[in-house]
Amino acid sequence: MVKLYGFPPSTCTRLVALVCKEKEIPYELTPINLGKGEQKDPSFTAIQPFGQVPYIDDDGFILYESRAIARYLIKKYPNQGTSLIPTDPKAEALFEQAASIETFNFNAFVAPIVFEKVFKPRRGLTPNDARVSELLASLESKMDAYELILSKQRYLAGDSVTLADLSHLPYGAAFYGAGFAEVFDKRPNLSRWWKDISSRPAWLAVKDGA
Amino acid sequence: MVLKLYGFTTSTCTLRVAVVLKEKNVPFEFVPVDVLKGAHKAPEFTTYQPFGQVPYIDDNGLILYESRAICRYIAAKYASQGTPLLPTDPTATAFFEQAASTETSNYDPFVSGLAWELKFVSWFGGKTDEARAKSLQSQLSAKLDAYNVILGKQKYLAGNDITLADLFHLPYGAVVLDIGLDEFSSRPNVARWWKDISSRASWEAVKGGI
Repeated sequence: MVKLYGFPPSTCTRLVALVCKEKEIPYELTPINLGKGEQKDPSFTAIQPFGQVPYIDDDGFILYESRAIARYLIKKYPNQGTSLIPTDPKAEALFEQAASIETFNFNAFVAPIVFEKVFKPRRGLTPNDARVSELLASLESKMDAYELILSKQRYLAGDSVTLADLSHLPYGAAFYGAGFAEVFDKRPNLSRWWKDISSRPAWLAVKDGA
Repeated sequence: MVLKLYGFTTSTCTLRVAVVLKEKNVPFEFVPVDVLKGAHKAPEFTTYQPFGQVPYIDDNGLILYESRAICRYIAAKYASQGTPLLPTDPTATAFFEQAASTETSNYDPFVSGLAWELKFVSWFGGKTDEARAKSLQSQLSAKLDAYNVILGKQKYLAGNDITLADLFHLPYGAVVLDIGLDEFSSRPNVARWWKDISSRASWEAVKGGI
């Protein structure tokens, strides 16, 4: 059984849980209390040197970085659940392109916006609205590019869903729910894609907690 | 037809691809894109790269963008020539993905942010945000403490063999050092690793510009 060490509401923890659901991989969650700073304990950082959740223990094999864990699990179980990373070289290259787009042209803007507008208020801190405006302006132009890409194909890497699409869900859903839905909704192809991926049963199963 | 690399001669992301092409002994034709004149935002460019960013490649009609995706494609396609940069066995692959993800989330946001604030922002008519630069430097410092722990146990980021994950650190690492921010030297294992990767012939060949 895959042991997932994480914080149930954490975006990155839920990404791993999502992939486990898509691939029909049973997992057991051991909660790490971020509010109490458990992730900065020496016993935790001995395993995850950056003091971040999640990490997995798969029968003694320890791995961290949610996207790396996702890739590891997907490659380990190619014949069950949803196929999430193509094996054909050209399709794989386009998957890697899409995965990189998610990291640098989406997450780089959405994650700090979510940090300012969702996480900071929860900790009693004031959002930096000037920074949010800057980030949002950059994100809008990125979403124009997404709109163009998604007008030609169903998903970010082609016509089949991949890990690249799913990786958008945790931060994307937090962003969408924090009053920014219009950024997706006003773009027909982006909206279509977002509705598609965010209504997947695997996501619905974990979106409120891994 | 020889592979065409469309980029800007000293662009960090263009150099990231160039260093891997050199490591793999892959001949290529460099097609300069004048980003200072906005050529990357022109329709002739955005037809191929919808985000208006350098670089992209044209490998006999296959168009691919996102430098790390291009590097993965090259390393896989030319696995049997030049330096092996992608492991093949599942465990080593998982550790490679962990290292590659570490670079994107625990290194790149800080070094690229510093490179922007302290060097590139003025190229595009903007001003340094000193508070942001200070915050980024302090965050980078904490991350490199973790790198120092990891690199105290193994030669490279994914294990004892060099991989793409190590090379990905070169372009922004060099810019940050060039600005005068040295967070490497004070950390012995990081310093050793940086000296190793930055003195490779492939990097020497491209670091001054293609």
